[in-house]
Amino acid sequence: MTEQTSEHTVRAFDRDLESLGRKIAEMGGIGEKMLADGIDALIRLDADLARATIAMDKRLDMLQRDVEETAVLVIARRQPVGLDLREIVAAMRISGDLERVGDLAKNIAKRAVALAEEQRLPRAMIGLRHMGELAAMQLKDVLDAYSQRDVERADSVWLRDKEIDALEDSVFRDLLTFMMEDPRNITICTQLLFCSKNVERVGDHATNIAETVHYILTGEQLPMDRPKGDMAGGK
Amino acid sequence: MNEMSSAQTMAPNADGVKIAIRNLNFYYGSGNPSLKNVNLSLLTNKVTAFIGPSGCGKSTLLRVLNRMYELYPNQRAEGEVLLDGQNILAPGLDVNLLRARVGMVFQKPTPFPMTIYENIAFGIRLYEKLPKSEMDGRVETALRGAALWGEVKDKLDASGLSLSGGQQQRLCIARTVAIKPEVILFDEPCSALDPISTAKVEELMDEMSTSYTIAIVTHNMQQAARISTKTAFMYMGEMVEMDDTDKMFTSPAQKRTQDYITGRFG
Amino acid sequence: MNPLYAPRRRKSKIAMALCLGATIFGLAWLTLILFTLFWNGFAGLSVALFTQMTPPPNAQGGGLLNAIVGSLILTLLGIGIGAPIGVFAGTYMAEYGRFSKITSVIRFINDILLSAPSIIIGLFVYGAVVVPMGGFSGLAGALALAVIALPVVVRTTEDMLLLVPTQLREAAVALGMPRSYMIRKITWRAARVGLVTGLLLAVARVSGETAPLLFTALSNQFWSVDLLKTMANLPVTINNFINNPDPNWKRLAWAGALLITLAVLSLNIVARSLSGGRNPK
Repeated sequence: MTEQTSEHTVRAFDRDLESLGRKIAEMGGIGEKMLADGIDALIRLDADLARATIAMDKRLDMLQRDVEETAVLVIARRQPVGLDLREIVAAMRISGDLERVGDLAKNIAKRAVALAEEQRLPRAMIGLRHMGELAAMQLKDVLDAYSQRDVERADSVWLRDKEIDALEDSVFRDLLTFMMEDPRNITICTQLLFCSKNVERVGDHATNIAETVHYILTGEQLPMDRPKGDMAGGK
Repeated sequence: MNEMSSAQTMAPNADGVKIAIRNLNFYYGSGNPSLKNVNLSLLTNKVTAFIGPSGCGKSTLLRVLNRMYELYPNQRAEGEVLLDGQNILAPGLDVNLLRARVGMVFQKPTPFPMTIYENIAFGIRLYEKLPKSEMDGRVETALRGAALWGEVKDKLDASGLSLSGGQQQRLCIARTVAIKPEVILFDEPCSALDPISTAKVEELMDEMSTSYTIAIVTHNMQQAARISTKTAFMYMGEMVEMDDTDKMFTSPAQKRTQDYITGRFG
Repeated sequence: MNPLYAPRRRKSKIAMALCLGATIFGLAWLTLILFTLFWNGFAGLSVALFTQMTPPPNAQGGGLLNAIVGSLILTLLGIGIGAPIGVFAGTYMAEYGRFSKITSVIRFINDILLSAPSIIIGLFVYGAVVVPMGGFSGLAGALALAVIALPVVVRTTEDMLLLVPTQLREAAVALGMPRSYMIRKITWRAARVGLVTGLLLAVARVSGETAPLLFTALSNQFWSVDLLKTMANLPVTINNFINNPDPNWKRLAWAGALLITLAVLSLNIVARSLSGGRNPK
């Protein structure tokens, strides 16, 4: 429905909203990179890459606080209603989700550093890498949906989360098996368990962002019960 | 031509409809109508706000509801306006009795050139002959109802014009309420008042809304959002959208409404 | 400094000087008139002025009692006839007939009447009343004054009523008030200061009119309050006395002129203070 082609009569309002949009876009870019690099560092046990990833989190945190402050100021100054109000609220929520994504990626990178000395890698790493790719795609899709105001794309991200859930189940079982085979594997598997949990939560945050995008564009919330991982797959 | 988002045309007296407006057209002289085929309902004991750009017809619509336009030649209304099922635009209707049931508060506070007491008593005396003690009580009730009693109880003999702007407006509200109407129409009641007086009048309207059906025309959208249950957006004589206020200001259905409330108009 | 500014300032100063000069010029004449009146009339002021009748020529003493009383009667009667008609006409124009074509026609005719030479009005009443009646009379004089007062009252009533804000009327009507009730109780009341001022101005206007009385009431040497006969009045008396070489008469004439001036002056001052004192906004 809403295609805002016209500008506010008070131009400064448009500038405020644009600045919010830019910050979110930057946060999205950093978040995506941190996730991709973190997974990569884990798979290849690249400690340097991991450390670089960890360093990026600071900028993300700063941006998130910036977005919140800007949003509050816009509310105070402009008393937004309608679409503008939903956009501001959405910006605050999405920035929170993206900041958490950054934290989760940082956590993965930290565990990658911890695992740098290991030699034997479990087969579950393949599953984990697959999960990481899915999560990265979800994140990219939902951020595209946000910037292009594409409600169908957002809805499909929302539906696809069950795939990540299903993968997480299988990675969990693989790691459990590996641990039971040999107690010396417990350290590495535990770390990987945490990582897989983190990736699954990135997927959840992408879903949150999808719900927020849906709300901006339609003014309504998606139903509370998202279809879980039982449905026969397909995008 | 007339876009409606939710069901506004209801049968009279069903679902708590106090005033039902059907196919209302209004003309200033000969020429294009200033109100075009307006259909909407005002719910009993609820506040309905009318918003829209200047010249959209919201004040005109309000003035049809108590036939105030009849003071001026060449203004005429066509269609039906049903107050509790009875068409108030019918030619044989007693206009003065209508106005006793449908009161109006104007933009500019207009106390009569008399004492504060007389301002209130004057209207009451039009309809009832009361002994002084009873009249005193009625005046006090009316002033209390307008949250003005505390400020004026010691100077009821002072001229109505000696009060501040906000107090004068509350006096006008008290005067209107004193004759016990069923519907009260507010035509931009706060636009001449400072923010504190505005807040007091808004609080007053909030308290009154449970006992009276209220229609308010306002330029201030935040005010409409604050005090009304239903909001109608009008543009160029037509009713564009009417909906629950909460929905109207968070996600309106029509693009024109969205553009207006977010300040993207023009 | 801005090069446009200096010549502008000069022009401004010249204009100011011219305005001031014109004011002083006008005021100077006014002062001169008042001074002359006071100077010549003061000598004639005495208690006798108010207690004795007009004397015959070349006599001593005497007063202006019959002329003063006659003027009062004529003025009051003239206002009593003209003012109510004027108020109701003005009310019609401002209230009931505000938007109708006929009101603008009435206003136009009224303005013509307002500035008609009073001698014409005197002649009209002469032809319409004096001739059929067969003689001069106080009644005819009062009628002439009424015709002079009428347009003044119509004009001020309409102007004052138009100043009452429409929203006040609407507020009254919104309570369910019938229209005539609203006009009587609210609009008239809101405009009462202006209406009274208008009346006072009409009184001031007619009290000095001479020409119409010349053809209608004429004047009377003796005491008479009979409306059907000629009636003494100040303006015509002054006119008669001044034209005569008798110094006693001249003295009385100046005193009479001073009396009229003082009356008109005080009426204007009262009217001005009434309208200036109230500031309800």
